Amino acid sequence: MAGNNPTRSLEMRDVFGQMLVQLGGEYPRMLVLDADLHTSSKAGYFKSSYPDRFLQVGIAEQNLFGISAGLALEGFIPFPCTFAAFATRRALDQVAISICYPGLNVKIPGSYVGLPTSRAGTSHNCIEDIAVMRSLPNMRVADPGDNADMRTIMRAAIETEGPVYFRVARYTFPDLFGSEHSFEWGKGEILRPGKDVTLFGTGMMTAFCMKAAELLEKEGLDAEVIHLASIKPIDWEMIANSAEKTGCAVSAENATIIGGFGSAVAETLAETTPVPLARIGVRDRFVTSGSIGDLFRIHGMLPEDIAKAAQMVYAKKTRRTG
Amino acid sequence: MDAWTPELKIELEEAAYQIRRLSIEMITYARWGHPGGSLSMADILAVLYFQVMGIDPKNPKWEGRDRLILSKAHTSPALYAALALKGFYPLDHIYTYCEPDGLEGHTDMRRTSGIESSGGPLGMGLSVAVGCAYGLRLKENPRSRIFCLMGDGELNEGNIWEAAMAAAHYHLDNLVAVVDYNKVMAKGFVWNLMGIEPLVDKWAAFGWDVLEVDGHDLEALSEVFYRARWTQPRGKPIVVIAHTVKGRGIEMAEFNYKWHTHAPEPEIADAMLRALSHRYNRPELGYSKLGDEREKETFYGGE
Repeated sequence: MAGNNPTRSLEMRDVFGQMLVQLGGEYPRMLVLDADLHTSSKAGYFKSSYPDRFLQVGIAEQNLFGISAGLALEGFIPFPCTFAAFATRRALDQVAISICYPGLNVKIPGSYVGLPTSRAGTSHNCIEDIAVMRSLPNMRVADPGDNADMRTIMRAAIETEGPVYFRVARYTFPDLFGSEHSFEWGKGEILRPGKDVTLFGTGMMTAFCMKAAELLEKEGLDAEVIHLASIKPIDWEMIANSAEKTGCAVSAENATIIGGFGSAVAETLAETTPVPLARIGVRDRFVTSGSIGDLFRIHGMLPEDIAKAAQMVYAKKTRRTG
Repeated sequence: MDAWTPELKIELEEAAYQIRRLSIEMITYARWGHPGGSLSMADILAVLYFQVMGIDPKNPKWEGRDRLILSKAHTSPALYAALALKGFYPLDHIYTYCEPDGLEGHTDMRRTSGIESSGGPLGMGLSVAVGCAYGLRLKENPRSRIFCLMGDGELNEGNIWEAAMAAAHYHLDNLVAVVDYNKVMAKGFVWNLMGIEPLVDKWAAFGWDVLEVDGHDLEALSEVFYRARWTQPRGKPIVVIAHTVKGRGIEMAEFNYKWHTHAPEPEIADAMLRALSHRYNRPELGYSKLGDEREKETFYGGE
């Protein structure tokens, strides 16, 4: 987490902004649209590099996505940049019908996701975006785990025809992947093999899963950690195979557990390999203002909480199998 | 754009008549649809598609074409009729309206040749049109125009005014919005449900050039679109407020919100179409599928 990580690097949103510039150099048809948030979202990097391909629409998110649809119709690749809360709650109809229904080539970054969004509070702490975006036909959804992941996801987004939603967390997160990292839609990655319990993480929560695995090791549990940045499509095979091996699982997401990543994991397990599962994430509550540490404590989303949940599902499994 | 001639007038009248006739045909056959708003915009579409717009049915994605975004997508039957008459697909295709893989109840650009955007929820089309108009400018295509056909009731939607603000801010004078001002929305009169007047002042205050026209006078429409397309553009988007009559052409539907969403029974449609042919001095022609009725679906009691 920001502040106490000795290998601290760039904030994820800065990497996002820089990657916009890099892709902009490679794709002349790429455009960035802003609704008066470019210094927060870091879309401003693109504005400085390619002012002619940067479009300001003012504080009007429905218009932001409608205009993006029109630009995509004319063959451009628009990145409408706003906070996740507004991309989902304010402009969902435009995203669903103007963009997803015809499968237009629009790439939607959702900024300020989940708990770590400074102290903006309930209105800006978007917890439902994974659930909402995942339910739209034609939409792909990804939540990067670190900066290398952010870069590869953005590249995959622009290389993939059709609508994409990806999350951009605000802060600095520990590096999980090296420079050789790759991303593929519908493919997970085993970060730590184990045999007793699987921890499925997406986005920044995968780093917490890794910490939880260390805590569990001290307790004598061998946890497998799987990173699923691609939430839709999701890696059914990897989820099923791991659950088959470990027999119990925990999912962790920086979002509501209702309909989101945990639900996607639960759906997969229920239809392939039913095993005891616990989901870590926001539990049917709004997320108020607060320090990042306080919020993760209040919502029970710290590595310790993941480890506790892992022990619980492990105990369930053991009771079942004797 | 062809010059106004007596021959053209005859052609446009025929197109307007056929758009009305085919709209009623497909709505009746599908047992669902919006006759009122399809009929009110028939003359506008006739002039746009048969005189004003540069389009090529054999090359529907031709870069130099003019584009029409139908924001009032519930009145797609009139547009489907115009596209069929232009030869984008065979005339018979209109009877697939509201069938899976056929013509969608609202609009689906992926399934239907000549349809430029997918829509349905009101108030969204103008933003899409703004995106297209801005995109044309980026591509340095000075010739193509974006037409956006809107209803009057949908001007209640905030999204329209966000788009209106942006179009003026970016001086999109390749954009021509058209309001089919038929004064009637789904459940009553616009002025009763949520008034939109003073409409000319509103658009002007948002930075648009405003042209008003009788939306059923083909020659006046032709003139106004000529101006909008060729002589008026001067760094401002243009809106044509076309005063129309909801249900125009079929007496029982005129100015009547009850025919906003209502498919006529086949016998009623037959009488409507016969009356329509008289009104246009055409040989009497009723509902072509009168003896060819599909079984009414009773699944869950639905229509």
